[in-house]
Amino acid sequence: MFRYLKPAFILLPAAALAMSLAGAAQAKVEGDTIVLGAALSFTGKYKTNGKHTKNGYELAVKKVNEMGGVKVGGKSYKLKVVYYDDESTPARGAQLAERLIKQDGIQFMLGPYSSGLTKAMAPVTEKYKIPMVEGNGASRSLFNKGYKYLFAVLSTSEQYLAEAINLAAQQTLAAGKDPADLKLALAMENDPFSQDIRAGVLDDAQTHSMNVVIDDKLPKELNDMTVTLTKVRALKPDILVVSGHSKGAATAVRQMMEQKVDVPMFAITHCEAADVVGKFGPGADYTLCATQWAETMTYKDKYFGAAPDYAKLFEKEYGYVPPYQAAESTASVLVWVDALQRAGSFDREKLRDALAATEIQTFYGNIKFDETGKNIAKPMVLRQIQGGQYKVVAPTKWASDKLIHPRPKWSER
Amino acid sequence: MNGSGKMVIYVVAAIAALLIPQVPMLQPYLIQFAFLWVMILFAMTWDVMGGQMGYNSFGNIVFFGVGMYATAVVQRDLYFTVEEYANVAGGEQAALTPVEYLTGLSLGMGTGAVLAVVVAAVLGSGILGLRGHYFAICTLGLGIAAGELASGWDYIGAGSGLVTPLLPDALGERGPFFFYLFLVLAVITFAVLKRLYAGQFGLAINAIRDDEDKADALGLHATRYKTVAWCVSGFFLALTGGAFGNLVIFIDPTDVAFAGPTFGVWMVLMAILGGKGTLWGPVIGATVFHITQELFWTYLFGWQRVALGLLIVVVVVFFPLGIVGWLRERWPQRFGEVVDEEARRVQVSLEGER
Repeated sequence: MFRYLKPAFILLPAAALAMSLAGAAQAKVEGDTIVLGAALSFTGKYKTNGKHTKNGYELAVKKVNEMGGVKVGGKSYKLKVVYYDDESTPARGAQLAERLIKQDGIQFMLGPYSSGLTKAMAPVTEKYKIPMVEGNGASRSLFNKGYKYLFAVLSTSEQYLAEAINLAAQQTLAAGKDPADLKLALAMENDPFSQDIRAGVLDDAQTHSMNVVIDDKLPKELNDMTVTLTKVRALKPDILVVSGHSKGAATAVRQMMEQKVDVPMFAITHCEAADVVGKFGPGADYTLCATQWAETMTYKDKYFGAAPDYAKLFEKEYGYVPPYQAAESTASVLVWVDALQRAGSFDREKLRDALAATEIQTFYGNIKFDETGKNIAKPMVLRQIQGGQYKVVAPTKWASDKLIHPRPKWSER
Repeated sequence: MNGSGKMVIYVVAAIAALLIPQVPMLQPYLIQFAFLWVMILFAMTWDVMGGQMGYNSFGNIVFFGVGMYATAVVQRDLYFTVEEYANVAGGEQAALTPVEYLTGLSLGMGTGAVLAVVVAAVLGSGILGLRGHYFAICTLGLGIAAGELASGWDYIGAGSGLVTPLLPDALGERGPFFFYLFLVLAVITFAVLKRLYAGQFGLAINAIRDDEDKADALGLHATRYKTVAWCVSGFFLALTGGAFGNLVIFIDPTDVAFAGPTFGVWMVLMAILGGKGTLWGPVIGATVFHITQELFWTYLFGWQRVALGLLIVVVVVFFPLGIVGWLRERWPQRFGEVVDEEARRVQVSLEGER
């Protein structure tokens, strides 16, 4: 029987090729449906956040469709998103951007997850003049290239942990000491996002003339940072800052706990996305977490109501508290909805101009783009995990609780 | 088939390939085709070592990355300072004129190719004394080391990556440009390899594959041939890498340039799938691989890796010699092998009795 199977295996790809050709070149708007396109990381190192991003997009699409869809030029349209898996690699991301635009005819793009993937896709969308609204590419290097078709609803990465450095300086001043005596330790993943955070933190450290005693680059797919933590034990810095997406956050919190490393201030990104509280319980306490959005904030919009309502709806739908990666993804879709309605047309240039003129409030925060396409109307928030709860400690306008500083030693907990 | 008959086939195939961009239905797929040519280049260049010479190299991706970075750096440093470029690259302000772009690209690809040949010669003289698994593992290490080095070198962007200049609008759309660029590269590579395999070089590396000790004993400078073979492979792979950086636009040290777990493994798979050690095997293997991969990614969303794994198992079980190897075994006459019908029948009947 195998004899007949063999030719079949050869014919299969040929038949499949014919099939794929037949399915090509859909329009950007199919009947009464507006089709958005996105390449997300469903596999590979960013898959956790890829899922958050997709859930964010899907919740927005569902809600907008339930509430009557998008009105463009007097007609109501439903939303739909076409997804591909970029496998967390930029080569695939760029290829898929091309595929979404050329093969699937997508005219309205949603961003991928991570700065690296966004860096790979933005030049392609720019070349074809296809607007892309993204909520997960925060690197500053995306916004100094003169891109005209890239719009980001988030705060750029240099702002992520700046507040932590300022807080440390304030605390030291309040204690009657000089912030210039503070020792700073950095452990940053070697990828565009974290390296950009590093640049931001270094700038802030310089303004307070702090000493940088450790400046480690961590490998991607971070599973072990014992080397850095050993240095931390020896050099006793006052602040330890770690960034490395969800894996980095989980590794840092886990190993700090296991190896009982004491440091007065410990600030990281991606606490919520990595679910450090759920994974490590009290071990995650006193960690400072940079967040684009907190469910306790008071922004609101007509689709989701206020931030806590969004959090409730999301949790009901997907079974977990939304990390900000999901919230900013939802907000990206809302920006598209607003721009489509204001433009009243599917003309690409009109849509681009409408996007550029965006000035709205969503449950996620205010959104207004500067000429480089980044959102300048929303601050970053710093939260501290206290008793298993995320409490906003900075900036002052949003602070609900006081910072606990320094972190209690492990032996005293 | 006689020589002129083959010539006709080549000419028809060349014309067909050149006409693809003119077919409206195929136009959205031009970049897809460009990726296909890249895959074919991967498989062909790998097969020089892995197939024709029997040296399984997992480190060829080094030449790809070297070519890519060299090209991008030349393109950058010809017209910008590092500082300037970091702040504008990719956007409108960094727009190059067509002449500048093409000069940068060709000079860069040339530099990359020369650099790759040097790297291959230096590395080759060092490690081509190793054989079999030892060589394979050593080359695996090379690919990983290169990625780590690139991740730590700020001049080439380190972990943050490097953005290549955008194709100027005057040179047309990305689709046709990269389609033709990679097509020409693939055709030249194919022709050169065909010529090389037909001559003394081909015989020499085949001899090394079949029995290196005997070849050596017969006076063949095995290490010299092996090093040259690696240089040939590296040369074309570096050219591919240089152009590929411009196709993808964003160079990440470990995920695009020195992408061992993806491209580095695929090039081996594709050559084996098509039939290693044959002229057309890598071409056919790469085509089948690329098409199935693209389809799995679309129609078996979420299961694509599983499906790809199954495909590999199927290939290994049903086509241990690869597609071309299998065809050759089945219809040896078509491949110009002389078959002694009498002897074959005896063999078959013997097998039947056993």
